[in-house]
Amino acid sequence: MKILGSVAVILGLMAADATLAQEIRPEVAQAAASLAATTCSTCHGTAGRSTSPNFPNLAAQTAPYLEAQLKAFRDQTRADPDAQAYMWGMASQLSDETIAAIAAHYAAQTGAPGHGGDAGLTSRGKVIFQQGVPDRAIVACATCHGDHAQGNGPIPRLAGQHAPYLLKQMLVIQSVLRLAPVMHGVIKDLSREQMQAVAAYLEGLGP
Amino acid sequence: MQQCAVSRRYTVARLLITALIAVAVHAPAWAVPSFARQTGMACAACHTVIPELTPFGREFKLNGYVIDNLKQIKGETMERRETLSLNQIPPLSVMLQVSYTHTAQAVPDSDATGAVAKDGEVLFPQQASFFYAGKIANNLGAFIQLTYDGAEDHFALDNTDVRYARYLSEAEPTGEAGQKPSGLFAGHDVLFGLTLNNNPTVQDPWNTTPAWGFPYAASSVAPGPNAATQVDGTLGGSVAGVGLYFWIDHAIYAEISAYTEAIVGGAHPVDSTQAAVVRGLAPYWRLGYEHRWGQSSLFVGTYGLQASVLPGSGHPLSGPSDHYTDVAFDTQYQYIGDDHLFTVLATYIHEDQHLDASVAYGNAANSSSHVETAKATFEYSYRRMIGGSAGVFSTGGSKDPLLYANDGSIGGSVNGSPESTGYILEINYLPFLNTKLQLQYVGYTKFNGSSSNYAGTGRNASDNNTLYLLCWLNF
Repeated sequence: MKILGSVAVILGLMAADATLAQEIRPEVAQAAASLAATTCSTCHGTAGRSTSPNFPNLAAQTAPYLEAQLKAFRDQTRADPDAQAYMWGMASQLSDETIAAIAAHYAAQTGAPGHGGDAGLTSRGKVIFQQGVPDRAIVACATCHGDHAQGNGPIPRLAGQHAPYLLKQMLVIQSVLRLAPVMHGVIKDLSREQMQAVAAYLEGLGP
Repeated sequence: MQQCAVSRRYTVARLLITALIAVAVHAPAWAVPSFARQTGMACAACHTVIPELTPFGREFKLNGYVIDNLKQIKGETMERRETLSLNQIPPLSVMLQVSYTHTAQAVPDSDATGAVAKDGEVLFPQQASFFYAGKIANNLGAFIQLTYDGAEDHFALDNTDVRYARYLSEAEPTGEAGQKPSGLFAGHDVLFGLTLNNNPTVQDPWNTTPAWGFPYAASSVAPGPNAATQVDGTLGGSVAGVGLYFWIDHAIYAEISAYTEAIVGGAHPVDSTQAAVVRGLAPYWRLGYEHRWGQSSLFVGTYGLQASVLPGSGHPLSGPSDHYTDVAFDTQYQYIGDDHLFTVLATYIHEDQHLDASVAYGNAANSSSHVETAKATFEYSYRRMIGGSAGVFSTGGSKDPLLYANDGSIGGSVNGSPESTGYILEINYLPFLNTKLQLQYVGYTKFNGSSSNYAGTGRNASDNNTLYLLCWLNF
């Protein structure tokens, strides 16, 4: 029932996604592209594909997810340590329209290519991603994130994301340093090794 | 007689330079809250433990100190070309350093023969600095430090680095998904920058080069060794340079710079009363590769410079000069975990010297000689709060009874040697990210060529061992 409840919440979020679309004026889109090129690129790469695994790839990320996260940084409701250290400041001056434009900018980029990791770890991760862990009532990640981890509306794209970043996000969500109640409910019983496996599998998925 | 007078003046000047070198070599490197004010980021974004830079801190510096989140004062032309983008709040900050120094044996009194100076020196402040550190305009930023030196009792322009930086590679244009970037730099992040600075290596983002190297803070009054290479702080503050650098795919760094004489104070236009005047242009170069994975980064690099220096100090600024060629190699490994952080730093500098001028003026015996310096440090921090460092250092090279003269002072060398070796142990406590309490011990196993009676005055190398306490506030 818990799993079904979580999925229902997620489906509700996805439905609400339709209401998030915002009209972006051309000059704001241009300013957002400039901001992405001069500021965001320092960590996230000039095309939204970062070289450091500490910073997430943004290329091809879903726009509603990016928008929600940037607003959470700006409003300081996403409060894991890295969010505080890096993104609270970066997002503090962004208007809703600029946020929407930045999100649209990165959503339109080509996703990062996958990087294969340890074969054993990756295959275990694939099983968890596609089938979940029924013994622990952990739902398959693909249920919400899509068969190819491409994301869907407010549910983030995970394909090609840096494994260390994914692992860290699962850890801060599990420990409630990052508030994501639905995701917390899904992964709260996932072991660190299982998280590493899922992260390794996802990092290997291409665009 | 005139030659003797000139020689004495030169010796005094050399001792002063040596003292300044000791200070410059130990010149502290600062992290500045004005960057935090400008970016809205906590110190931990850019620093492991201040002032050592994280990979993001290096990116911030290479990008010209311009990332900001402050409201801007804007100017635009009718064609909507931006003519001004200025922080509404200037990125200013203050650093205050209070220290206590104790050497194993007190140093001789500077005036009363046979007496010794007070041992146990409190400097309040050792240094007080004011910074403008941050954005000037789009793509243009600065790190400007104005320092009051407590021992010298004067203000001076300290480390200064003004830089312009921008990406040559364009972000993939917004539009159809799957559209491929095009152009010369397609698929690569290529940043280019220009730097204008007053100290070779002050523009460098790694903590292995002299300007920002370990120890990050040290006593300004304890005795220091008599030899250092030109790139190892000797030219700092007496030159100005411009450089062009490229930072490719956040991994490859290449820089070429040129420095020229820019002595502050004394006679201007610069004349024979000044000491160590760089002749013409002194080229500086830097090449390195950084690999990042997980929470680790590894850097290997090389740097160096060539300089022709006129001794001055009573000798005309013409005729022969001394030629120095420095070649250095460095490496840095950094692990930044949530709880445990550690860094390994190492640098080796080799300097070839052709001292035509010094030989002609009787200040050096050998026209060809060399100096080499090696340093290695291990640093650890637990949650950026408590940690320590252990480092070893060694300077050696050709002996020269005139260059490293036995002048009867504790800065002399009885065997005319530049050799000094030792170690540095340090414990740090940071109750806040911008506040550092430091206990440091510097031990010498050799000082100016010997472990015992190194200057012929009965003083041993270990007598210069130094206990140093520092309270360092940044706000």
